[in-house]
Amino acid sequence: MTLPFILNGEDVVARVRSGDRLSEVLRESFKLLGVHSDCRCGRCGRCLVLLDGKLVPSCIVPAFRVRGREIVTIEGYAQTNEYQDLVAGFKAAGIETCGFCDSGKMLAAGALLERRARPMPQEILEQLSAVPCRCTDAEALVKAVQAAADFRARRHFSRGH
Amino acid sequence: MVISEVHYPKDLSELFDILKRHPDALLYAGGTEILREQGGRAVELPETVISIYALPELRRVDLTERFLEIGAAITLSEILDLGDTALPPLLAEALRGIGTASLRNLATLGGNLACRSRFMDAWPVLACLDALVEFRNAGSSAWINVNRLAGQDGRPAAPIGGVMTRIRVPLERWDATALRKVGRRDYPASETAVFALAARGEKGILAEFRLAFAGETALRLEEIEARIIGRSLPLSERERRTFGGEYREAASALPRGLALQFGALVEAALDILAR
Ligand SMILES: Cc1cc2nc3c(=O)[nH]c(=O)nc-3n(C[C@H](O)[C@H](O)[C@H](O)COP(=O)(O)OP(=O)(O)OC[C@H]3O[C@@H](n4cnc5c(N)ncnc54)[C@H](O)[C@@H]3O)c2cc1C
Ligand code: FES
Ligand code: FES
Repeated sequence: MTLPFILNGEDVVARVRSGDRLSEVLRESFKLLGVHSDCRCGRCGRCLVLLDGKLVPSCIVPAFRVRGREIVTIEGYAQTNEYQDLVAGFKAAGIETCGFCDSGKMLAAGALLERRARPMPQEILEQLSAVPCRCTDAEALVKAVQAAADFRARRHFSRGH
Repeated sequence: MVISEVHYPKDLSELFDILKRHPDALLYAGGTEILREQGGRAVELPETVISIYALPELRRVDLTERFLEIGAAITLSEILDLGDTALPPLLAEALRGIGTASLRNLATLGGNLACRSRFMDAWPVLACLDALVEFRNAGSSAWINVNRLAGQDGRPAAPIGGVMTRIRVPLERWDATALRKVGRRDYPASETAVFALAARGEKGILAEFRLAFAGETALRLEEIEARIIGRSLPLSERERRTFGGEYREAASALPRGLALQFGALVEAALDILAR
């Protein structure tokens, strides 16, 4: 089947089989290797993307589900100011991410800040639990996302003046 | 590998037309349960798949003073976004315990209840809240109590052939509620189950008492509940022991680990009523 959708802001068309996983389509047809394909069952958080702005594991989204919809991968998200706010927030909190979790944590935190300008610590931890990681302290994660929220708010404020 | 034909009906009547031509078609909502145990490069789907996720009739939410009505294709995240003032706390707690935030952006309430391989986490809570589900076919529709999604043998028994369209959750006052997920928290497995309880007292009498436990099979013992309801509070030591024993006996057919945990949870619940 042909699959038209919006990928990182551009209209694209892919030739896929209905049962192809979105994660595989993104990796193989579009060479977006920031999307990993690991557990393929929605648990490891290595394939997260934004589907119409919502965080989803792309390994359990079959290609047919994205017809006409908008997908953002870490490659697209990394071009945004919001991503830079998160990088600054994580740096301010002294968090170093790794290749396993980096893209997932950024997309998860970014999707949350899109919905809630000032999320509560519990909401931050809940959202980031989509990216299992034993190396980062929960308190530091909360600080990182809150710092990113501050950077984002300051940027919006200075743009408005 | 089967190349599936995927249909995207724009409303229910179009869906019923497709179902008439393809009675074996797979209804695909969030797909998280359908794909849960598939690890291959591509996913295996039957010949005909119907995407029901965007059907407008399955995407409505209605809130009145007496009940909350949730379209079957509303995702668990969307339900949680309704907020604590609209959602019964027991339901919110159960939904928050399902998978991760990213999974809940795909998973729907209808898919959770329509699952036929086992009971998923929403069932025990909705059974305690006496929720109703609407099933529709081409020419008919029926509201059935969520409790009737469990057969006589305790196994899932959702009607075959129909489409679940709405879930109606009564909004009532509860004085005591409890929810416990037994076994691993993050993934349904043979040793996982959910325990839910809702009770209400009025003028020193136990006016309502509902208790449900479900994993691969469901346990809701309405005969015992009927005998507990109407008793004076606190329950006497004898009542506590009698009912505890009856519940434990009813659970003896469950796998041993689950039966023990169920017994302990019932014990704790009856203890509270006896104090
Ligand atoms: C990593 C992972 C973790 C999970 N953790 C949990 C957990 O902790 N607790 C839990 O309860 N579940 C869990 N699940 C299972 C699943 O995500 C949920 O049960 C979810 O709510 C299913 O909804 P869905 O929309 O994805 O259903 P689908 O997969 O789309 O459908 C499930 C079944 O219901 C049928 N169906 C769907 N909608 C309708 C309808 N409207 N009318 C009639 N039939 C319908 C489908 O044909 C299918 O047979 C998990 C799954 C994964 C992958
Ligand atoms: S590959 Fe693990 S969640 Fe998708
Ligand atoms: S820092 Fe990457 S998995 Fe923990």
